[in-house]
Amino acid sequence: MRPFGIRIGMFWALFVASVLMFVRNRAAVFFSLFLPLIIMLIFGVLNFEGSTTIQLGLVDEAQNEASRDLVDGLAAFDYIEPTTASRAAQLAELEVGDLDFVLVIPSGFDPQPGQETGLVAYASTADPAQAQVAQGLLQQAVGQAVFAPTGNPPGGVFGAPPLQFESVESRDLGYIDFLVPGIVGMTVMQLGLFGVAFGFVHLKRTGALRRLFATPTSPAYFLGAQVASRLIIAFVQVVILFGIGIWFGLQMFGDYGSLAAIVLLGSVIFLAVGFAIAGWAKNEDQAAPVANLISLPMMFLSGVFFPRDAMPDFLAGITQYMPLTYVNEALRAVVNDGAGVATLGPQLLGMGVWAVITFVLAVRLFRWE
Amino acid sequence: MSAAADDSRIVVPAPRAGAPASPIVVVRDLRKRYGSLQAVDGVSFEIAEGEVFGILGPNGAGKTTTLEMIEGMRTIDSGSAIVDGIDVQQDPRGVKARIGIQLQASSFFDELSLVELLELFGHLYDRKVDAAALLADVELGEKARSQVRTLSGGQKQRFSIASALVNEPRVLFLDEPTTGLDPQARRHLWGLVRQIRDRGHTVVLTTHYMEEAEELCDRVAIMDRGVIVALDAPERLVDALIGRGFTKARVERLANLEDVFLDLTGHDLRDEG
Repeated sequence: MRPFGIRIGMFWALFVASVLMFVRNRAAVFFSLFLPLIIMLIFGVLNFEGSTTIQLGLVDEAQNEASRDLVDGLAAFDYIEPTTASRAAQLAELEVGDLDFVLVIPSGFDPQPGQETGLVAYASTADPAQAQVAQGLLQQAVGQAVFAPTGNPPGGVFGAPPLQFESVESRDLGYIDFLVPGIVGMTVMQLGLFGVAFGFVHLKRTGALRRLFATPTSPAYFLGAQVASRLIIAFVQVVILFGIGIWFGLQMFGDYGSLAAIVLLGSVIFLAVGFAIAGWAKNEDQAAPVANLISLPMMFLSGVFFPRDAMPDFLAGITQYMPLTYVNEALRAVVNDGAGVATLGPQLLGMGVWAVITFVLAVRLFRWE
Repeated sequence: MSAAADDSRIVVPAPRAGAPASPIVVVRDLRKRYGSLQAVDGVSFEIAEGEVFGILGPNGAGKTTTLEMIEGMRTIDSGSAIVDGIDVQQDPRGVKARIGIQLQASSFFDELSLVELLELFGHLYDRKVDAAALLADVELGEKARSQVRTLSGGQKQRFSIASALVNEPRVLFLDEPTTGLDPQARRHLWGLVRQIRDRGHTVVLTTHYMEEAEELCDRVAIMDRGVIVALDAPERLVDALIGRGFTKARVERLANLEDVFLDLTGHDLRDEG
């Protein structure tokens, strides 16, 4: 069959050979398939959840002396991490699980002993057991903070508790929800970099590639088959990682089409990097340090395992432009926040620019012999 | 006495001193330069269909470069090479489709079995192959499910030849097919080349073993420093040398050390384990 002059049989044979070569290569399978899996299992079992601080979103609609005293007073507690923003912004954060409570200080806030304070706290429904404890702690803290300046003792004096709670339907995002998209991004990177670079350099060095081109086949078929096989392998790996993630409690808020689109674009970027290295390097000894030099910083600085918020500002500023950072952000937006691929403008732009850069690099550096 | 006498029998070729009547390979004034080195410096010859043609010469004489330019594996600086009526510079893939190539250092995809490799190569020529029959032809039938890396040197060379036969080539190019093989494996490969010739394939091979050229080749071109210094049937070249009054310092005895070696160790292949 030759639709549009493409020899389907030739392409298919090279594709199957390419998949077989990958699957039967123990080192390639280990580093690109099992290693991410093992890392995910380890981190999934370790479980970095259960932080003891309360993420409190403050909405100060009073903007008076009493409200400022309350905000300062709450900030003094070790177990409270307050942030201030608008009501809408804070409630949105609460819904996606980034906050435990949103405390609204109503306009005209003027607490008097024996009267209701008018304070309302919106509580996340995500983790009811933890919320019980946290509500008690927050109640106590607010009581102390409100009346500390007046010297009145908290509790007992009031007819009502200082704080009314309201529940807000919100997401319970665990560490597994953070980790799986990161591991997916890392796997896409590893498959592209190591899956291509080493296999290809080996074929080049041993002369197997030369033997291939002693036949009337065209390099385009071989490259096409390599790319297609790596894409299929990447998708199979994402399915496996997601399956195990869901077993660990991963929640998927987005659609799988958007996820697939980002995996595809990420794969294109890292396959191009892989081919650039493979085309440039004369042997595996040249390819290995370059591949590691590219992959290791991204593995630790692109927010695969830990949020990039924890980084010093200058580091976060630099690393936000790394290709894997864009891929991870886009994956998390889809998986954690349910974003569609079309709404991810900045990340798509970042990935697009990298795809162009890496593709040009690959074409420039590529040599068959 | 072993079968040595049988194996060393010289197949009497039809004497083809001049240019063959219906050449399948025509090479005209081929040249290739690498930096300051003129690797091939104006080589011309013709090869007849069904012939076993040898290119001899010391290392660095330009044998492989000449061969690879004809095969379409290397660009040609100047001159021309026409294989089966196709100009290799205009249609290298057309030439590659009609020939079989055994490269000097052939390597294959490690993870595939011999059968899988031959079937893959068949697809690259857009044709179905009978992999089992091809492997049987080169006596590798039992290794069908093995990978190339598990083969011995002689087995690798035979597999390499099998892979070059998947498209039933008009011309088979063998670049130093017996280098590095022990005497048994070398003789075995000679037998294989004769079989291929008997099936009607034209064979072009390079070698730096003179006895190999004498055994196999209908005609030989002797190359040195990028040029052909002699081209004729081996026995005619020898006759011509004797005719010029050449005498050997030591008269060749009726047997040599290789005959002793083969008599003591037998003709059986040692690479099957």
